[in-house]
Amino acid sequence: MKISIVPALRVLKPAAILVLVAFFGLGVGYWSNATFSSDTSPEQPIAFSHQIHAGENEIPCQYCHTQASRSPSAGVPSVSKCIGCHNEIATERPQIRLLMSYWENREPIPWIKVHDLPDFVHFTHKRHVLAEIECQTCHGAVETMDRIRLARRDIDGTVQHDQTWEMRLCLGCHRENEVENGTDCWTCHK
Amino acid sequence: MPKIDRREFIKLVGAGGVGAGAGFMLRESKKDPTEYLIPYVVAPEDFSSGIATWYNSVCSMCSTGCGISVRTREGRAKKIEGNPSHPVNQGRLCGMGQAGLQVLYNPDRITEPLVQAGDRGSMSFEQITWENGLDQLAGRLELLRAARRGNKVSFLTAGVNGHLAQLIESFMRQLGSNRLLHYDFDHPHTLYAANQKFFGQDHLPYYDLQNTNLLLSFGADYLTNWISPVHHSIGFGTSRQRQAETRGRFVQIEPRMSASGAAADEWIAAIPGTEGILALGMANHIVSQGNYQGADRADWLAALSDYSPSQVAEQTGIPERTITRLADEFTETQPSLAIGGGGAANHSNSVDTLVAVNVLNYLAGNVGSEGGLLFNPVPAGTVSRPHQASYRNMLELTEAAHQGEIDVLIINGTNPVFTLPAAAEFREALAEIPLVVSTSSFFDETTVLADLILPSNSYLESWGDHFPEAGVGFPVGAVSQPVVSPLYNTRATGDIILGLANKIGMSSTIPWTSMEECIKAGWRRIYERGDRQTLAQGFDEFWTALLKAGVWGETTNGSTAFTPDQSVIAGVSVAAPEFSGSEQDYPFILHPYLSANFHDGRGANLPWMQERPDPMTSVVYGSWVEINPTTAVELGLIEGDLVDIESPQGQVRAPVFVYPAIMPNVIAMPIGQGHSEYGRYAKDRGANPLEILSPQMEQITGNLATSATRVRIVATGSHIDLVKTSGTSRDLGRNIVQTTGSEGHEVSDVRLNSIPITELT
Amino acid sequence: MSLFSRFMDGWRKYRKPGYYDEFDYHWTMTVDLDSCTGCEACMTACQAENNIPLVGEEELAKGREIQWIRIERYWEGEYPNAKLNFLPMMCQHCDAAPCETVCPVSATYHNQDGLNTQIYNRCVGTRSCAVYCPYEVRYFNYYNHHWDSPLDQQLNPDVSIRGKGVMEKCTFCIQRIREAKDLAKDDGRRRVRDGEVQPACVQSCPTKALIFGDRKDTESQVYQSMNNPRAYKVLDELNTDSSVVYLKKVDA
Repeated sequence: MKISIVPALRVLKPAAILVLVAFFGLGVGYWSNATFSSDTSPEQPIAFSHQIHAGENEIPCQYCHTQASRSPSAGVPSVSKCIGCHNEIATERPQIRLLMSYWENREPIPWIKVHDLPDFVHFTHKRHVLAEIECQTCHGAVETMDRIRLARRDIDGTVQHDQTWEMRLCLGCHRENEVENGTDCWTCHK
Repeated sequence: MPKIDRREFIKLVGAGGVGAGAGFMLRESKKDPTEYLIPYVVAPEDFSSGIATWYNSVCSMCSTGCGISVRTREGRAKKIEGNPSHPVNQGRLCGMGQAGLQVLYNPDRITEPLVQAGDRGSMSFEQITWENGLDQLAGRLELLRAARRGNKVSFLTAGVNGHLAQLIESFMRQLGSNRLLHYDFDHPHTLYAANQKFFGQDHLPYYDLQNTNLLLSFGADYLTNWISPVHHSIGFGTSRQRQAETRGRFVQIEPRMSASGAAADEWIAAIPGTEGILALGMANHIVSQGNYQGADRADWLAALSDYSPSQVAEQTGIPERTITRLADEFTETQPSLAIGGGGAANHSNSVDTLVAVNVLNYLAGNVGSEGGLLFNPVPAGTVSRPHQASYRNMLELTEAAHQGEIDVLIINGTNPVFTLPAAAEFREALAEIPLVVSTSSFFDETTVLADLILPSNSYLESWGDHFPEAGVGFPVGAVSQPVVSPLYNTRATGDIILGLANKIGMSSTIPWTSMEECIKAGWRRIYERGDRQTLAQGFDEFWTALLKAGVWGETTNGSTAFTPDQSVIAGVSVAAPEFSGSEQDYPFILHPYLSANFHDGRGANLPWMQERPDPMTSVVYGSWVEINPTTAVELGLIEGDLVDIESPQGQVRAPVFVYPAIMPNVIAMPIGQGHSEYGRYAKDRGANPLEILSPQMEQITGNLATSATRVRIVATGSHIDLVKTSGTSRDLGRNIVQTTGSEGHEVSDVRLNSIPITELT
Repeated sequence: MSLFSRFMDGWRKYRKPGYYDEFDYHWTMTVDLDSCTGCEACMTACQAENNIPLVGEEELAKGREIQWIRIERYWEGEYPNAKLNFLPMMCQHCDAAPCETVCPVSATYHNQDGLNTQIYNRCVGTRSCAVYCPYEVRYFNYYNHHWDSPLDQQLNPDVSIRGKGVMEKCTFCIQRIREAKDLAKDDGRRRVRDGEVQPACVQSCPTKALIFGDRKDTESQVYQSMNNPRAYKVLDELNTDSSVVYLKKVDA
């Protein structure tokens, strides 16, 4: 007896089309998320531009990120730090008005973290800043960024964007500069 | 263009939409969760992120008052360590002190003022505001005060010290009430009374363990919970670490080996309650052998004539030659020191027992000398001692309640429903009190019966100060400051009192608006009695230096001279101990002891303390009853068998633990478990031996004779697997713990002094 | 040197005598058994410092405790001459550690300071290291642990939280050693001074039974107390070359 699968397939044809369309939709959804909702350069609550502050106005990094040479964490400036200047400067701009509303409500600005390391890594800004490593080495050319974008400088010196930090970059620098105990796991892994 | 009907179209769009959604979520799932960087609104002055800030304060986990340094990160307390500058604990701290973090961050803390909306004990509490709560209480107090019925207000607090104690005193005085009681289960009433009787001093002497060469402890578990355990541990360590010839020797006399007994060189089991008789037997030998040559020798011979070693041997169960050997050692080894506590201090004859211990010290020449017993100067601040309520005082309180003499009871930091035996009927007495107010942070057995709860801060969130009653030979005080902001809508006990005082119109005598202000004002007076150098720096500098160091001291010493007068000598005697229950019906003596992890029960809601193995048995998360191995065999019991321990007052159930170092007719149970409330870690776990204690008292002080209860063991036939962490408790020839004799080599050449903690900023 | 030669060189020297001589520190701990009273303050200190999880009654009944430092009890004799000896036991940081040889992913190895390291994110949880350890000081996370809020506010940010499937053990408080080295560097000093770094257990011990330091520093307390006639190492016959020296308890 001849069994043909063609009739069965024919029945499945509408379902197959639906599945194909669904997969196409999957691709579209995936791509649109990747393109428009970036986790490497997320939209911040206030459109703070490092290009204006650190670039044009040449404010040194440690003016705001005060703890960089003293603590493992570089520190994010308090709202009062911004107000220190912006009480007087550019007060009519909408972003500054937004800043003022945070200040008036005594609410902290919920910045979204872009440069992040896993919890099991101990990275200390202090030692690196005191070793006179430029902030741009790991954070990219921040003074050109309107909106902070994940960046890194690879071992060969090229700057790459939107790629998360990798351990081989720490190790590369540690080896190259012959950092004391730099290749011991426990120096960085806690 | 293929023909698509509407239905098909919608299906396609739907499929596409679902796909798009799925794709979106798929990409989303590959992202790390959004992390935020939250800045401060205004950068704080005293700390930076990433760097720890340390605050000095005082531990309140027991009444000793060790100085602590708390490491905080970004406003959260991370680690409690000892304050290296504090002479009591010199940078060290016991486990329970370190677990104070779990008091602060306990998930079962009461976070808001509450009022009981239903029947008392029904746990139907409703939240109210502080204003409302304070008004309710203040209103009631004001009415009573105005009607000159202030004495209907009773304040029952855990032992408090320093300016908070003074404040509560003042408050109660203003109210017109003399019903201020400090109630600590472990307060050494009989020790104070014995010191008063023999030395004529109402504060504790300083026991110089550090420099002693022979310590004879009559029941005192000085390493775990007697008077000032961390200080004694430091002394013990120092004593052990000296040269071989002067390595301190420690002898422990108790019916059940405690941790101090394990650390001792010799453990001697004396019949419970006969420790004082033993001491007098030794005293008799010292005097009769001519090892004491004081002018009053004849008086002593007369007073001690009934305590010859042979007579004493019979009463105590200790061989005569051991008694004489110990007595000889005690006088030959100089300096030596005798102390008494634990079961010996909580029996029917304990005041006399502890007088006998003092007698030993006197006869051996230890009084007023280094390595012996030194008199402390009067504490520099208010101490708890004058208000400490004995068991008798607590019974008086319950009686007053039954007579309708108490209208308002305010309870602060103490849990009498748990720590008093059922025979005291404290819970029933509470029912007779119209308004019961608690400042507790936890729903413990007493707090669930409150009508109004005004929750206090934990000690890590409060201002306070402490003048250690145990003393260190010179006046010492320390300020306790908040190490974190209060987590919840709670207030410091002192601030609650100040709030009430304000509402009742006591501002002329109690003018401060905050506890910080009150403490500062009090310390200004201490500052003013300082020397010229101190005064020259100004109060603000003094205050800053005080907080930075965490401790203050003065270089005055107590007196050294002492001679007992004739009447005291003539009155030296120790009666035989009295037990409740007949030996026939109740063949065993119950020996309840303060557990290392929970103390008097307060530590049971701390998960670290539940999970930490008991030092002697390694049992976790439970209770047990310790039985001698021979007795266990006789009764046909093995480890884990559930038994009922029955006293004339009641019974509790616990699993058996076969304990190698306990007298055959004594059984022991740790105090601390058996809570029926007190949070998720403590509730319905284990058994509370205090429940079944007989209401027997030492007559002079009215102290509860916790070691005077006889019990019987009734097997239930059930069995549980006791959860312990210790594996094989025998060495099995593997030579893991190696011991050596002390002759022929140096024990250690290194003087191990206090190492300062790393300075971090 | 090429990567391969470097590897071979290291392999040749690794764990042979003299391997550690060229390095900066050789962290050592002494435990004076004559002073230890079994109070377990060290256990609570370690628990607070290192984010040791609460395992719970059920898991403890299965023997799955996590106690980086524990007190062992050894009874001797019978009543009335029973004696109880305490033994604090923590990772011995053996220079010839059996656990290091067996890890298939090299999550544990001996670093230049003489410490036996444990790298959590590399560990795959074969648990062979725990089997090989004769001191039974390695502890496994059978579950992801949970802290009832707000107990998690107490957690130490300088120490990782270990997830399920990861081995953990005493680290001689590497976070404190790291911090001490950091401060020493700030001071321009290249060496951590004796007493500047103390693991949590050592810092809290009321009887000062625990001493910690660098045995390369001949002036240090630990060096002097190591050279005590009472010194011995637990299970020394296994030739693990441990870095924890015990001082015999005196039977007087």
